[in-house]
Amino acid sequence: MRATLERSNLLKALNHVHRVVERRNTIPILSNVLLRAEDGRLRLKATDLDLEVTETVPAEVRAAGGTTVPAYTLYDIVRKLPDGAEVALDTDAEGRTLTVQSGRSHFSLQILPEADFPDLTAGEFAVRFTLAAAQFRALMERTQFAISTEETRYYLNGIYLHIVASGDDKLLRAVATDGHRLAQAQIAAPAGSEAMPGVIVPRKTVGELQKLLESPDAEVTVEVSDTKIRVTEGDIVLTSKLIDGTFPDYVRVIPRGNDKVLKVDRGAFSEAVDRVSTIASERGRAVKLALGEGRMVLTVNNPDSGSATEELGVDFAAEPIEIGFNSKYLLDIGAQLRSGTAVFKLADPGSPTLIQDDDNPDALYVLMPMRV
Amino acid sequence: MSSATILHADLDAFYASVEQMLDPKLKGRPIAVGGGVVLAASYEAKAFGVKGGMPGRQARALCPELHFVTGHFDQYQRLGDAAIGVLNDFTPAVERISIDEAFADVAGCEHLFGSPEAIAARVRQRVRDEVGLPISVGVARTKHLAKIASQVAKPDGLVVVDPATELAFLHDLPVGLMWGVGPATRTRLADVGVATIGQLAAMPGNSLEALLGPAASNKLRALAWNRDERAVESGRRARSIGAQSALGRKPATEAVYRPALLYLADRVASRLRAKSFAARTVTVRVRFADLRAITRSVTLDKPIAATGMLAEVATDLVAVALADHPAEAFISLVAIATSHLEEVSALQLDLPFDLGDERRRPGSKRGAARWLVDRAMDRVRERFGREAVGYAAIALGRAASVPDGFRELAQREL
Repeated sequence: MRATLERSNLLKALNHVHRVVERRNTIPILSNVLLRAEDGRLRLKATDLDLEVTETVPAEVRAAGGTTVPAYTLYDIVRKLPDGAEVALDTDAEGRTLTVQSGRSHFSLQILPEADFPDLTAGEFAVRFTLAAAQFRALMERTQFAISTEETRYYLNGIYLHIVASGDDKLLRAVATDGHRLAQAQIAAPAGSEAMPGVIVPRKTVGELQKLLESPDAEVTVEVSDTKIRVTEGDIVLTSKLIDGTFPDYVRVIPRGNDKVLKVDRGAFSEAVDRVSTIASERGRAVKLALGEGRMVLTVNNPDSGSATEELGVDFAAEPIEIGFNSKYLLDIGAQLRSGTAVFKLADPGSPTLIQDDDNPDALYVLMPMRV
Repeated sequence: MSSATILHADLDAFYASVEQMLDPKLKGRPIAVGGGVVLAASYEAKAFGVKGGMPGRQARALCPELHFVTGHFDQYQRLGDAAIGVLNDFTPAVERISIDEAFADVAGCEHLFGSPEAIAARVRQRVRDEVGLPISVGVARTKHLAKIASQVAKPDGLVVVDPATELAFLHDLPVGLMWGVGPATRTRLADVGVATIGQLAAMPGNSLEALLGPAASNKLRALAWNRDERAVESGRRARSIGAQSALGRKPATEAVYRPALLYLADRVASRLRAKSFAARTVTVRVRFADLRAITRSVTLDKPIAATGMLAEVATDLVAVALADHPAEAFISLVAIATSHLEEVSALQLDLPFDLGDERRRPGSKRGAARWLVDRAMDRVRERFGREAVGYAAIALGRAASVPDGFRELAQREL
């Protein structure tokens, strides 16, 4: 393999693919990035066996061929080369090393054979649809924070992407929950997605997709099978296994009849929660909300350090109620809402509370209270 | 090399000594606290081979003159506090590790009270004069060596280990004196001809590791060369909370261990809640009739503090432990320890998913109900005393062989 390309192109591609590589690997080749040069292009590929990212960049190919080299080492080398440099990649005749040459810098890296590199891409994808990158990103962004990290509840370790019917329309909906809170976001189902099976996209894949889908105007192609999802944007292709499990019936935990409605300025509320929780030593201490006619009093008590109280004017006309929430969870949801006014629908201090933007029904959040 | 400033003070045969102090007729006689089981033995009884945990019948066979006393349990805590409190008059760096022993670091106190040896001698004299009990003290450069020195000093003695000759001192002693070497490890070491700490220190790394595993072998090798970086930590926050219950010799059946564990869980969980802690890891210890003990532990997804949930988790663990040892027909002790403690002042409820794994989740409907019951009970007990309210299953199922007072004291951190 012999290829020459611009440092900036190589760096951009390595930047995307090297993140997939786990820092510690028991299988040596998983530490490597695959390089394949042909037809005026260099294709880079990295995998952790569950997730694979490939990116293709233009290159001057003098001899077609492929090899694999340690991903972090190559990334660090290219990162340190001067801006605007040309990089030449050459495998030696015996197939033992790859030479990286740029200006007066010369590196020789040990390689492993291309044939040993695992391939995730095999298999048929029955469903294929296209949507705007910004839309796809928003679905994930608005739900990602609620993904569970509990290994025993592995089926909650991702975003549940599925199609629901709404009257005559179909919606593409994303749901995530960690058992304490639930986040749901949806868009009109893109053409071709209607027959998609419900799939659980793993947390790491969600994180990588967020980083890969950088340009908001781009079009994204999503392909789904029963076991894999493939997302293509321009020269970048991400293929990931799905979580093999059943997402629980989440509809049952979304309250329908909560009749105590609270409307509050989102920014003022988040700031007040942030201020009173300063007194809390532990992560996610309870903040108590006491709601009465037109007012909310937020209180945090920490027996070790003191207490904090703040009063907010709110739109509330129902029976007075006192309810506790994890302050971090309130802040997380506050950061996800988009409109100026947040709407809370409450039932009692032991039941789920519904939280939404006042002008956007497409995203909703359910939060379980704390007993204080 | 730093100097020897760490004291380990340990009351001699504490429970038995208290009894002999309270009733001078017992002085100089072989006595045992307990009845069905020997909870503690005086030095005179130990000379006959009587040991704590031994069935009463066996103890009497060894020592026909053995005198059993039921024990003044109400006095033990007070006298233990008074004795350990003497250390506080010399240094603020006192780390109490149980009712009858503590570490103290007297570095920097020399200009006030004299050498560490002089301080140790004064501590012993004052405990003798003011509390009336014998206490042995070891003085050394590390905690481990100080503790060994106090064991060597017993009964009623003082041993100061000069840093210049500490390895010579340490290496002649039997391995059984080391922290972390119990009967099982001692037997394994004896099988390969290792009886002294020096022999253990000289053992090649590989063979020690093959024998005891990497973690234990590294720890013991460091201690055998007197490498012990641990500092005396006063006001140390609890890293674990536990309790144990001696049962005598009882059949290894659920009817025996379930009530005992529920009793312990009640104790441990209420102490967790009193400190606003919840525990992520639960460990149980089961001791068989021959005093060999095994432990089993589990780390949960969410930390727990409810009595009922802790009891269930512990009961499951003991059932697994016994299933692994089907040949053991009798047990003599059960213990529960909780660790990975997290500060939890309020209970985060779970969304009602009904996922089938909710039995061990504190935020489930059942978990939350238990939390409310426990909290209500804690408040009643705070006001009206521990006996005012309790779980019926505990009140009815209490095993009678061990006095309650001793159970209280037996709740040393595990």
